[in-house]
Amino acid sequence: MDTVFAQTIINGLLLGGVYAAYSAGFSLIFGVMGVVNLAHGELIMLGAFTSYWLFTYFNLDPYLSAPFAMVFLFLFGYVVQKYIINRVIGQPHIMSYILTFGLHLMIANIAIKIWTQDFRSITTSYSGANVAIWGLNIPLARSVTFMVALFMTWGLWFFLMRTETGRAIRATAQDKEVARLMGVDIRNIYAITFGLGAAITGLSGSVMSPFVIISPEMGLEYTIIAFCVVVLGGMGYMPGALVGGLVLGVAQSLAATYLNAGISVAITFIILFIMLVICPKGILGKGTVA
Amino acid sequence: MNSRIDRIILVIFLGITAALAFLPNFVESEYLLRLITVVIFWIGIAGCWNMMSGYTGYIDFGPVVYFGIGSYVVAIAMTKYGIPFFPSLLLSGIMSSLVAFLVGIPTLRLRGAYFAIATFAFAEAMKQITLEFDRTFSVSFFQGSDGITLPISGHDNSFFFYCVLPVTFLVVLAHYFIEHSKFGYGLKAIKEAETAAEISGVNTTANKLGAYVSSAFFLGLFGAIEAYWITYITPSDVFNVQKTVQMVIMTLLGGMGTFLGPVVGATFLTLISEALGARFVEYYLIMIGGIIIVAILIMPNGIIGSLKIRKKFRFI
Repeated sequence: MDTVFAQTIINGLLLGGVYAAYSAGFSLIFGVMGVVNLAHGELIMLGAFTSYWLFTYFNLDPYLSAPFAMVFLFLFGYVVQKYIINRVIGQPHIMSYILTFGLHLMIANIAIKIWTQDFRSITTSYSGANVAIWGLNIPLARSVTFMVALFMTWGLWFFLMRTETGRAIRATAQDKEVARLMGVDIRNIYAITFGLGAAITGLSGSVMSPFVIISPEMGLEYTIIAFCVVVLGGMGYMPGALVGGLVLGVAQSLAATYLNAGISVAITFIILFIMLVICPKGILGKGTVA
Repeated sequence: MNSRIDRIILVIFLGITAALAFLPNFVESEYLLRLITVVIFWIGIAGCWNMMSGYTGYIDFGPVVYFGIGSYVVAIAMTKYGIPFFPSLLLSGIMSSLVAFLVGIPTLRLRGAYFAIATFAFAEAMKQITLEFDRTFSVSFFQGSDGITLPISGHDNSFFFYCVLPVTFLVVLAHYFIEHSKFGYGLKAIKEAETAAEISGVNTTANKLGAYVSSAFFLGLFGAIEAYWITYITPSDVFNVQKTVQMVIMTLLGGMGTFLGPVVGATFLTLISEALGARFVEYYLIMIGGIIIVAILIMPNGIIGSLKIRKKFRFI
């Protein structure tokens, strides 16, 4: 097989793994609460910064600081949902978009105020490392993120299917009134769901930190990609984020190799638009449709 | 009672517009005239969004695409084909509404978040296409990130004031007709319960498409005026998602689906950013974020919407 083609596909799959890792939380939050979280990229940013500071001050490896990012983001997400977003649940969806956009502006700009607009990066011993197999280069750090995405999708599925809290979350997603009558504390479940979504997003931000540029303004583009990924895979369907991420990653990678890098972004949005118009339920046809 | 209040407000509105038409004769300061023009400009743009999304409840997250198409049509018509400004302006509006018609037919079938994301995706795709088209196909048409420089108009600020004022006037007047026509009742019925509206005989597709296309027409005009005013456009400027956000926030602050909502919201936000933006540059966006959050939490219906509920006015 053509080496360039094979390398393109591998790059695409690894990129897709990264996309899948940071989009799963977006899908969870939308699936359960119908909230399109426009501050999603900021959660990634906070996760990446947690790793950055722990690396800078304590020389802690980003993979070891990931649990700290998870805990921090869980608490952050829990509080935000409990005291802010819960107050617009039940109102038209536009309220939640605008509210989370307000959060996006506040978090990003406070972060700029505290950490300045500087671009930062974490340089570990394995940051640029590649494994060469049959003349193909496989970046190490991205492969780890790919594994994390797989593991996270499985873990989330396990949590939702096999635990009592997971059952309560699924019940709330299906019918919140009936769930409430069955004794589920809806507001608490919402807060836990948002916390959980934030935690896995923070985790992905943390495991991405060895190979991405970290800056307070990084969030918005990640939010936009997460949008695309989740729509491709089917909104609210957990494994969809994985499928959508891989498809988008490969499509972008092919466009970047055979056309040019700029047009690959255009192709992302064209795919997204066509997908929504033809099949809003996503590639697997399992997403929820309003 | 209500319709009498409505009529009084219409008269007041016509009076204010007529008075504004003489404004450039009295305002000495160019800065003040420019500021007033910007306020009127944003009232019109926010009004365009309100016409579609405020009344039907379909949240359009990509209205900026029609603004951008307007800017590019006027720029290409003037620089490449040498068409004068006013015919190009009309062409911008027509092109924008034509695109809106073609895009509206498939997208308006989508509901809720899906419509919002589809419109957003379309706007971003258009931005990327204008950015990368020339480089990908080795031509010189949109001129990508280099942008297009329009012919310098040589007109002063009052010229643009008189360009913006009538368009905004038409947008606000269109709101009045939406409030008082079968078409407008149809739009409101779509917002309340689309399926029920359809069963009751409202041609929902035609109504939505009508609102979408007319909003795109006016946005195209505004885009063209701004392009000629600033004389230099790039895709990342005219298709900037920030513009969409501003329209949405202005309308929401004022009150969605109300006649005066965009007027109040746009005036309020433009003046606030003028006052805060200059003095607290570093904290400005944090404050805007805070204002948005507080406004949503304490006044989910906007300034006008809250008054409307309290005073039971239909209009204000």
